[in-house]
Amino acid sequence: MMGMTNKLFRIVVRIEIATLLNRDGKLDRKKMDRLVMILSNLRNSGKHILVVTSGAIALGTEKMKLDNQPNTLIEMQTVAAIGQADLIRLYQNFFDEYNQIVAQVLLTSDIMENEARVENARNTFNTLLDMNIIPIINENDPVSSTDIELEDNYPLALKVAKIAWAHAILIKCDSYSKFVLLVKGVKKALVAEDEKKLFEIIDELSENNMHIADAGVEFPDSIEAII
Amino acid sequence: MNLAKYREDLKETRRLVVKIGTSSLSYSNGRLNFSRIEKFAYVLSTIRKKGIEVILVSSGAIGIGAGRLGMLEKPVGLAQKQALAAIGQAELIKIYQKFFGNHGQVVAQVLLTKDVVTLPSRHQNARGTLNRLLEMDIIPIINENDTISTYEIEFGDNDTLSAIVAELLDAELLVMLSDIDGLYSADPKIESGATIIPAVSEITPEIEKLANGAGSVFSTGGMKTKLAAARICSKAGIDMVIANGSTPDVIFEILKGKDVGTHFIPSKINMINKI
Repeated sequence: MMGMTNKLFRIVVRIEIATLLNRDGKLDRKKMDRLVMILSNLRNSGKHILVVTSGAIALGTEKMKLDNQPNTLIEMQTVAAIGQADLIRLYQNFFDEYNQIVAQVLLTSDIMENEARVENARNTFNTLLDMNIIPIINENDPVSSTDIELEDNYPLALKVAKIAWAHAILIKCDSYSKFVLLVKGVKKALVAEDEKKLFEIIDELSENNMHIADAGVEFPDSIEAII
Repeated sequence: MNLAKYREDLKETRRLVVKIGTSSLSYSNGRLNFSRIEKFAYVLSTIRKKGIEVILVSSGAIGIGAGRLGMLEKPVGLAQKQALAAIGQAELIKIYQKFFGNHGQVVAQVLLTKDVVTLPSRHQNARGTLNRLLEMDIIPIINENDTISTYEIEFGDNDTLSAIVAELLDAELLVMLSDIDGLYSADPKIESGATIIPAVSEITPEIEKLANGAGSVFSTGGMKTKLAAARICSKAGIDMVIANGSTPDVIFEILKGKDVGTHFIPSKINMINKI
């Protein structure tokens, strides 16, 4: 897997579906479209992106017309199995408009404890990226016993960044306000006020600072202090 | 021994696992047969409306992924298959959602790895989730989580997975559909007089020999993995029928106790235990 893949800047994009809903809890389609356009642009400008997204439980809750989000583990797992199918379809439909093909990858919460699984997931990511496909990643909730689709999906984004040897994690990508980027080897989070600035930052990193990924500073375990 | 009478038992099925192989979902060039899938969605939704709980184990993700990318050749290598599975599974579940949705039937996607058998916590979680989905009148659509599994090493194939799922959920019947009509008395490509064996009460060495028979007539999944599945079912006291999925109506026929395909009757001891 030593083709073009390793030469391209790799960004894990963390999306919380809650940030894409409008006041009445429905998907803000305009906002979603804008985000997907930005991500498609990132891909077209020669970066590899991996999308980590929450939303299976939220969409499952909506589909089953439940008044409240479920709060027991089994109910959450059940609703997630229903909603994940809708979630992936949502991404398929939006990315399709920008001529991008997506793939669904579901990881169990304990994946890091199993070396063979990590290796398999890495190979899958590398192959997908080589094929110009955007992986859409979520936790495999229906079989996970813990950590079910945490409110904060940064831990999953971090796992994906580690598995895929990513250079950066876009931890906040609100197309209406700002973007926050964590770069491997850089302690301070980088903030971009708009799309243009985001692309400038990433282009610069991608062109000049590829070696930073080896600089020894890892991504933080938590982003509470940053966000 | 009159084995035909055991077909009557299948009329009483309350919980049914249906495994659909790639060959039943696509044309021989690997592209999806939408009208076939639409028909399956109709048949399974109808069965669900009659009060029978339905679990679908569906193959096809890798082939659909290859089709989505316009690939003409069969994928080779583990990484490529896993990548195609990730693309194809997303497409597959979308198509099922659409066709089942036309009949007002909600579906859910559950992807399993072999931990579901080996890890008690995962076993329990998967069972809990699937049972809850069934209670909510939902049809779970199950596949192996190819992208992280060591493909071909874990479950090996969806034939085995479907039997494990049937056991996990205490189903009464597993219907296994592919492009073969059933277990033949001989290789029909060689012997014109070969007939389908209507019922098997014990997987004897003679039966195994039939499954090892040469010739692609025994098809993609192969009869060997189907026998392995039959063994799991037999031990667990679950009936299993192998039939041709080219006409989805065959599931109706099986549930009416009609003599189609090959019926694997579970070993008697377990049948008594089940009562």
